[in-house]
Amino acid sequence: MIVLDKASKYYDAQAALKNVSFSIKKGELAFVTGPSGAGKTTLFKLLYLAETPDDGTITIAGFNTSNLKEATIPFLRRNIGVVFQDFKLLNNKTVFDNIALTLRIRGIMERETKERVHSVLKLVNLRHKSDKYPATLSGGEQQRITLARAIVGEPTVMLADEPTGNLDAENEDNIMKIFKYINNKGTTILIATHNRSLFTNTGKRVFYLDEGTLAKEEIA
Amino acid sequence: MFSVKMALQSILREKWINFLTMATLGVLLFIFFAILLVLYNVERLTSKIPSKLSSLVVLKDDASKEEIAAVESEAKRSKLVKTVDFISKEAAMEDLKKVFKSDDFILKGFGENPLFNSFEIKFKSDEDVKTSDIKALISKLKTHRAVDDVEFGQAQMESLSALKHGVRTIGVTLSTTFACAVVFISYTTVKILFYRRKEEIEIYKLLGATRGFIRLPFFLEGAIVGFCGGLSGAVMLQVLNKITLSKLTAEIPLFAVVNIPFTVFLLFPVIGLMLGLGGAVLAVGRVRY
Ligand SMILES: Nc1ncnc2c1ncn2[C@@H]1O[C@H](COP(=O)(O)OP(=O)(O)O)[C@@H](O)[C@H]1O
Ligand SMILES: [Mg+2]
Repeated sequence: MIVLDKASKYYDAQAALKNVSFSIKKGELAFVTGPSGAGKTTLFKLLYLAETPDDGTITIAGFNTSNLKEATIPFLRRNIGVVFQDFKLLNNKTVFDNIALTLRIRGIMERETKERVHSVLKLVNLRHKSDKYPATLSGGEQQRITLARAIVGEPTVMLADEPTGNLDAENEDNIMKIFKYINNKGTTILIATHNRSLFTNTGKRVFYLDEGTLAKEEIA
Repeated sequence: MFSVKMALQSILREKWINFLTMATLGVLLFIFFAILLVLYNVERLTSKIPSKLSSLVVLKDDASKEEIAAVESEAKRSKLVKTVDFISKEAAMEDLKKVFKSDDFILKGFGENPLFNSFEIKFKSDEDVKTSDIKALISKLKTHRAVDDVEFGQAQMESLSALKHGVRTIGVTLSTTFACAVVFISYTTVKILFYRRKEEIEIYKLLGATRGFIRLPFFLEGAIVGFCGGLSGAVMLQVLNKITLSKLTAEIPLFAVVNIPFTVFLLFPVIGLMLGLGGAVLAVGRVRY
């Protein structure tokens, strides 16, 4: 489902990602970890094509990103649900509209949109905040909205960048339960985190990044 | 459908900038339409004038029938000519008699008919009937032995066509300038709105929005603003037309010939729409991923 082959990304001659190769199978749940600045976010940007690799090839959800036409990029992104580290929520839209955007962009009918948005809001336990604006909510709540927005499109691959960065331990557990739930329904998930407690004793694969290189891979 | 909603929302949310743009476009388009109408009326009036132009070919008294026929066929062969009528000196006399009616003793005093045989040539009113061509034909006719002289309102025709040409040049230049100004203002407005929503658009792209989805609301916005501008310009023109023209016509009857076809008022908002849309298309440009 995700294959990286010697992928590299440079920012002004400075390597943010160097020669990284790994592959993740369909339906797998895996983690990427490493200290801040290790290149986790850069790796995700390459995967959802916000950046293009300077070297190597990337395949995701059946698309080879190196010879992709620009017009195909939106359709690739519809297969990928991203929980952005910086949320990327629209402050002039309500929680409902922020999540609904994913579906409206695809031309899905309002009735179906409403149903699906309400069901993911219930999943992240924010149904009562449906008409609020993101800026009026806590960091943890905004993070869960971002998660809900990634889930609502029913992606085949989900990329979550520090999805528990703003959460307390109890909320962290709830979020991980949601990931396990959608993973069980077949979604391939890659989670980037510097928080070891998320993956210890899960039996899942963990990729350790350090200064842009893949330092080691182990089963937690 | 969502795009249409977004365009309308954006127009409402940014109502001041959009309103100002509509008003500016309205004024610009008003001037633009006024120029177009001046052009239209000048064209319309002057295109009728050549048909009113006619030329009188005065024939020599001693010309033979064959010689006269040669002149007639030469004139008839020309593409410029609509009709060629032979007016015998007897017929000319009859006409004159009608003019003088009871006072025909004046004419009787002449004894012999002092008038001459002639051809009256009427020219076509086509666009491509040029003064220079008519001049060429006339000098050709003058070479015939049967022809004594040709009378033709050449000077008037030349100054008229110069005027027409001048009005056309100025009108086309001005209207092109104003059309460009309209496109430019629509361009600037849409560009500003586009940049204001840059962040939002980036998020749309990341969520999988296609180019069309991103661009459509801006195109609609440009088109709607242009349409409203065109509509208000047309209304201003109609108001001006009703108030001023009726007064002017009372003072100077010449203005009665000014004609504003009503269908034009339906056409103007469409022109506004096209120009507004053009500006928006230029402003949004290529959306890159
Ligand atoms: N847009 C950018 N321009 C320049 N350098 C960048 C940019 N994005 C990331 N970097 C650099 O790349 C490295 C990896 O960053 P990042 O992928 O954000 O790390 P992480 O998400 O693991 O904290 C860092 O040294 C960072 O400064
Ligand atoms: Mg990061």
